[in-house]
Amino acid sequence: MPAIRPASKRKPPPEGFEDIEDDLLIFSNKMKDAQNAPTDNIPKHQAQWPIFQISHQRSRYIYELYYEKEAISKQLYDWLLKNGYADAMLIAKWKKQGYEKLCCLRCIQTKETNFNSTCICRVPRTGLKEDQEVQCVSCGCRGCASSD
Amino acid sequence: MLKSTYKPSAAALQPLPPGWTEHKAPTGHTYYYNAETKESTYKRPTAALPPAPLAAPLPVPQINLSDPNVANAFMSQYAAAAAPPPQSGRGGFGGAPGRGGFQPRPRPQPIDKPRSKVAIPGCEPWILVYTKYGRRFAYNPTKNASYWRIPEKLMPAILELDQARIRQKAAGADKTTNDEPKDSNDEPKEATVAPRPGTAPPKKEHDYDSSEYEEVEVTDDEDENEDGSAPKRQRTEEPGADGPVEFTEADIAAQLAAMGAEYGDDDDEEMGDYDEHEPETAPLSDHDARELFKDMLDDYRISPYSPWEKLIEEGKVFDDPRYTVLTTMRARREVWEEWSRARLQALKDQRAKQEGRDPRIAYLAFLQEKATPKLYWPEFRRKYKREDAMRDPKLPDKDRERWYREHINRLKLPASTLKTDLKKLLESVPPAQLNRDTQLQNLPAQVLTDIRYISLDPQVRDPFVEGYIQGLPPAPTGEDGAKEEETEATRKARDERRKRERALEERERAVAEEKRRLERRVQIERARLREEERELERAMVVGKRGLQSQLVGAAEGKVVSGSGSGSGGEMNKTDKTDKEEEE
Repeated sequence: MPAIRPASKRKPPPEGFEDIEDDLLIFSNKMKDAQNAPTDNIPKHQAQWPIFQISHQRSRYIYELYYEKEAISKQLYDWLLKNGYADAMLIAKWKKQGYEKLCCLRCIQTKETNFNSTCICRVPRTGLKEDQEVQCVSCGCRGCASSD
Repeated sequence: MLKSTYKPSAAALQPLPPGWTEHKAPTGHTYYYNAETKESTYKRPTAALPPAPLAAPLPVPQINLSDPNVANAFMSQYAAAAAPPPQSGRGGFGGAPGRGGFQPRPRPQPIDKPRSKVAIPGCEPWILVYTKYGRRFAYNPTKNASYWRIPEKLMPAILELDQARIRQKAAGADKTTNDEPKDSNDEPKEATVAPRPGTAPPKKEHDYDSSEYEEVEVTDDEDENEDGSAPKRQRTEEPGADGPVEFTEADIAAQLAAMGAEYGDDDDEEMGDYDEHEPETAPLSDHDARELFKDMLDDYRISPYSPWEKLIEEGKVFDDPRYTVLTTMRARREVWEEWSRARLQALKDQRAKQEGRDPRIAYLAFLQEKATPKLYWPEFRRKYKREDAMRDPKLPDKDRERWYREHINRLKLPASTLKTDLKKLLESVPPAQLNRDTQLQNLPAQVLTDIRYISLDPQVRDPFVEGYIQGLPPAPTGEDGAKEEETEATRKARDERRKRERALEERERAVAEEKRRLERRVQIERARLREEERELERAMVVGKRGLQSQLVGAAEGKVVSGSGSGSGGEMNKTDKTDKEEEE
C-alpha cells in the first residue's frame, strides 16, 4: 500500500485549479449535504436521485470548461478526472452523437431492464404522449434526449 | 350644510304660544305648525300672533294622524329626527334610500319654489303647482292646504291632465305653452314671492308623473326660501345617490378598495400580461440589451468559471434592473455563455502576458531583501522555506540556488563595479522600454529580472537609476501612439457604456409612465363597469306600474336626452325606478 502523503508533500494540482476551486468546493459541499440528508420519508428509488444529479452537474461543469469554453488546460482536466471530480465514462458518452445530454449511465444500460430497453427519459418528447410527465427511476431525469 | 336664511332672534327663543308645535322640514328647516288652525309657518310664532282659538293641543302624541295634513307634518318630523341631515329634500320618509352605500358628504339641500300652476279640471278650487325642481303638489286656495301626496279624489283628473300633456308634447313642443296656467289670482296669500306664471314654462326635462306620490307637506311659507337659489342640476343629482356626476377620484378609489377582491383576478391577469409586454415597448436595441447584461455580470464580479446554475442559485443579480433587459431565461443564458467565453479568453491572454516575468522578479526582490553573506544556501532555504517566493513551483530549486550564490558573491564586490554593471544593464535596454517617461516602479522586466539590478543597495541604486532615466531621450512616438490608441479604445468603451445606461434609464422611465397610464385606465374601466352593473340592477327592478312606467320613462328619457345630455336622460330613468320602488 502506498504511503499516504500529507497535503504539504502532495504534488500540487495543475495550473488553473485555483480558478475553479471555489465552484468545485460548492459542488462537494452540496454532495456532502445530499449524502447526509435523511432518507426516511423518501421512496427507496428516489433516495439516490440528488447524488446522481449533483454528480451530473459537476461532470457537466468540467466538461464544458474543457471542451466548450476551453478554459482549463489538458493537464488540469486530466488531473480532475483522475481525482474523481468528473465522471470520465459519462463525459465519453457526451461526446457521442445522440448522447449529448445523457443524464446518467444507468439510463442507457439496456441489460438491466425487463425488455432490454433504455430508460423512459431517453425518449424524445415527440415520442411521448401529450403532456406526459416522466421522471426516470434511476436518477429522476425528466428527459435527456438530444432532440429536446 | 343647511342654508337657511332664518336667523334665530332673541324673540325666537320665547316659548311657543299654545297650539303651536315645532317641526323639522325635510329640507332641514324648522317650521311651526298649528294643528287647530292648520296653519304652518317658518316664522316663529310669538305671543303677538293670535293664539289658536281652541285649547292647546299637546305635542306629538295627541296629533290626530287621521288628518292627512297632520300626518304629513308628523311623519316629516319623525323622519327628520331619525335622520338628522335629511338626505333628500323630496320625500318625508328619507327619500331615496342610499343605494350606492357610500355617500360620505351630505348633499346640498335643494331649495324648491313654485314655478307654475295648473287648474285641475273638474275639482275646481284645487290647483296643481309645479315647482322649480319639477315636483308638484296639490293646493287648495280656499282651504289654504297643500299636499305633496295627491288626494285620492284628484287622482283621475290629474292623470287625465298628464295624459293630455304627454299627447300634446308628442304632437308638438310649441303647444306646451298651453299648459301654462294663466290665473295667478289664486296664489297663496302667505307666499311672499308669487310664482311667475308665463315667465317660466314647466320644464319638460322633468318627469312630472313621478312626483305624484310625494308625501311631504309643503306649506306656502316655503316660498320664503327662494333667496337661496340652488343650481338646477341639483334636481338630477338628488334622487340618484350615485349619478356619474358625483363620481370623483375619491369615490373611485374607495370603490376600488371595496371591490378589490372581486376584480382581483382580472387585475392580476392584466398585470401579468403587462409584464410580458413590457420589454417590447423598450427603445433599447437588442445589442444594447446584451451589452447591458454583460455589464451587469462584470459589475457583480461574477466568476467566468462558475456554472450558470450558481449564478441563478445565488440570485445576486435578480434585483438589478439590467437583469430584466433580457426577457427570457434562454436569452440570458446565451448572453452569459458568450460573456463567460470572452472573459475566459481575456483572462488567458492576460495570464500569457504575465507569464514568465512573475516568479523571477518576486524571487529576486526577496533575495535582495533577505539574502546575506552570512547564510549558506541550505541555511537560507531552511530559514525561509515558508515564504511564497521560496515555494513558487514555477521556479526550479536549482535556479534558486544558483541565483542565491551569484547574488551573495556579487555583494562582496566594490560598489563602483556594481554601479558600472548596473549602468551597462540599463544601457542594454531598448529606448522603447526605458526612456524619460518611465517610472521607477514600472521598470521593464528585463531590468528587474537581472541579477545586476539587485546587487546594489536600494538606497544607492534608486537615485542612480532615476538620474540615469532623466538623462534619457523621450520615448519614441510610436509607442505613444499605441498608448493613446489604447486610451482611445477605453474611452470609447466607456462612452458606449454610458450611452447604454442612459438608454436603460430612459426605458425604465417610459415603462413606469406606461404602467401609470395603464393603471389609470384600469381604474376608469372598472368604474364604468360598476356603473353599468348598477344600471342593470336598476333596470331589473320593476315597480307596480310595471312595463307601462318603463315605457313612459323611456319615451321621456329620449326626449330629455334630445334636449339635454345623455347622462341626464339616464338619471331621469333612474329617478323613475326609484319612485316606483317607494311606491
